[in-house]
Amino acid sequence: MKAPLLRSNDAVIAGVCAGLAAHLGISIRATRIGMAALCLAGGAGVLLYGWLWLLVPTTEERRRRGTSSPGLRLGTTGLAGAAVDTAPEVTARARAGRREALIGAALLVVAAAFVAQQLGASIQWGWVLPVGAVAVGAVLAWSQIDESRRAGLMDRAGAIQAGGMARLILGLVLVMVGVLIMVSGSISWSLTWSTLLATGAVLGGVGLVLAPWALKFWKDLEAERAGRIRETERAEIAAHLHDSVLQTLALIQNRAGSEHDVVRLARAQERELRSWLYADTARQTGNFADRIKAVAAEIEDSYGHPVDVVSVGDIPMSPRQEVMAQAAREAVLNAAKHAGGTISVYLEAGPFGSEVFVRDRGRGFDVDAVPADRMGIRESLYNRMQRHGGTVIIRSSTEGTEVKLRMPEEKSGEPRG
Amino acid sequence: MAEEISVVVVDDHAIFRSGLRADLDHRITVLAEAATVEEAIAAIHQHRPRVVLLDVHLPGGIGGGGAEVIAGCTQLLGATSFLALSVSDSAEDVVTVIRAGARGYVTKTISGTEISAAVFRVASGDAVFSPRLAGFVLDAFGTAAVASVDSELDRLSARELEVMRLIARGYSYKEVARELFISIKTVETHVSAVLRKLQLSSRHELTRWAAERRLL
Repeated sequence: MKAPLLRSNDAVIAGVCAGLAAHLGISIRATRIGMAALCLAGGAGVLLYGWLWLLVPTTEERRRRGTSSPGLRLGTTGLAGAAVDTAPEVTARARAGRREALIGAALLVVAAAFVAQQLGASIQWGWVLPVGAVAVGAVLAWSQIDESRRAGLMDRAGAIQAGGMARLILGLVLVMVGVLIMVSGSISWSLTWSTLLATGAVLGGVGLVLAPWALKFWKDLEAERAGRIRETERAEIAAHLHDSVLQTLALIQNRAGSEHDVVRLARAQERELRSWLYADTARQTGNFADRIKAVAAEIEDSYGHPVDVVSVGDIPMSPRQEVMAQAAREAVLNAAKHAGGTISVYLEAGPFGSEVFVRDRGRGFDVDAVPADRMGIRESLYNRMQRHGGTVIIRSSTEGTEVKLRMPEEKSGEPRG
Repeated sequence: MAEEISVVVVDDHAIFRSGLRADLDHRITVLAEAATVEEAIAAIHQHRPRVVLLDVHLPGGIGGGGAEVIAGCTQLLGATSFLALSVSDSAEDVVTVIRAGARGYVTKTISGTEISAAVFRVASGDAVFSPRLAGFVLDAFGTAAVASVDSELDRLSARELEVMRLIARGYSYKEVARELFISIKTVETHVSAVLRKLQLSSRHELTRWAAERRLL
């Protein structure tokens, strides 16, 4: 198997020749002489050297990336194979010599150009300036990014795959060509189409280069936002549990002696947690059923007797239903005060109006024997309901009491008064 | 009511299982306990209990909880009845487990006496409706006895509606019977009929209603 094409640590400039020699299986000296000769042939060697320098990873870079990604493939040259083990101290040395190497390379390029002109090649200096500017700019920009980020950029641009690499290079070439045409286009300003072509090429090139990055960037942003939302939700749940459940548990430990308090706390917490877990916020309408549930919860909290509410249907609040809710509150309150135990509340509501049944398992009382001066039942229930067109039926026996409240809703056509 | 009744208790909380075991009537024998869907299916097949006390939310299996256990024991459904227990009031949970084949549904907060009574009732082939389940039924089938619905399965008779309303109001079966001047046996028949309708009805309101409650 051939040695993979990697920039060697045994470097004069950047280890390109040594790496190439190892890869091709010829002597380093021969490679360097060949490269120098190429440099003299119109600067081809310089181009080749620069190209390899940019694109061929060092053994160090390769080792770092080797296990996870398949490595840089240069067309059919083939870079496959296992990562090569190297001594780690070499990169530092290579980096120290990099600035000198760059200056040297620049000088070499200039020298090569002069030599080429001496040999008779006609160099259009008008072209050299923009090409040089673009090249220097690219090198500067590239060297500003640290190695890992550079690898990341290559990864993101898809430059690891041959297709992505081709797209990247094509894009860059288009950008450069566009820039060159624009710069040198000063000679032929009149030719509008060439300017348009140049602009198109520039835009196309930039788009081609940036599209995958932009896409990747967008995806990263989306992923991060989703993560943030999850994090916020988690924090919200944690905060809620802390404020409610943990506080209640602490309270319960404090009041462990009082069974009544413990039951009351547990009930209230259960109700609160339940509404938080199962209630649909969209359904919390402030309608009649919610109002009755709130009333039940309030009395349950004050008296410590469980109040179970079963509701069927719902109706928007209206002045009449407000009266109904107050009457229902009075009925539940009476049950909690006088009967105790579990109180069942059943409400049914719809376009017809509402019905509420409040049932307890107390000892019961004689409805007719309630003295007329007892304000509770007479005023709060009978009179109040009757004033607004509702009815009250109380049935009581030794097995408990049931209060049945009914409040018809106004017909929509009926005049209000 | 005098005979011994064998049960398997399925719940993922050991504290709840032991508490329930202690609370149950002395005529009820706990054959085994299980904490996951797989354990439950294995234990039920091994012990063949008369009644399974089944938590709606269970770990294991494909995440189907109590309904998955019932689905895994379909060939035993004649000999074994399932009574669903839950802390959840969500309509979705209740309706799912009932439609899977449970004979009743009670919340975990009810007393040992009540739960024992529910076990006896389920063991004798009747259905157990808590006030809340009755409320769900009324909500799903509508509170008016509509005659214009296609299938008999898709509506409740006037009598069944009355029974459901009374149960939702907190009446016991006995009290319902006295209120309507019918026998307890008749009440049980009505409740079983409602349970069957709840299980078999393809009434689109039922599914839509459950879906709405869950999704909103």
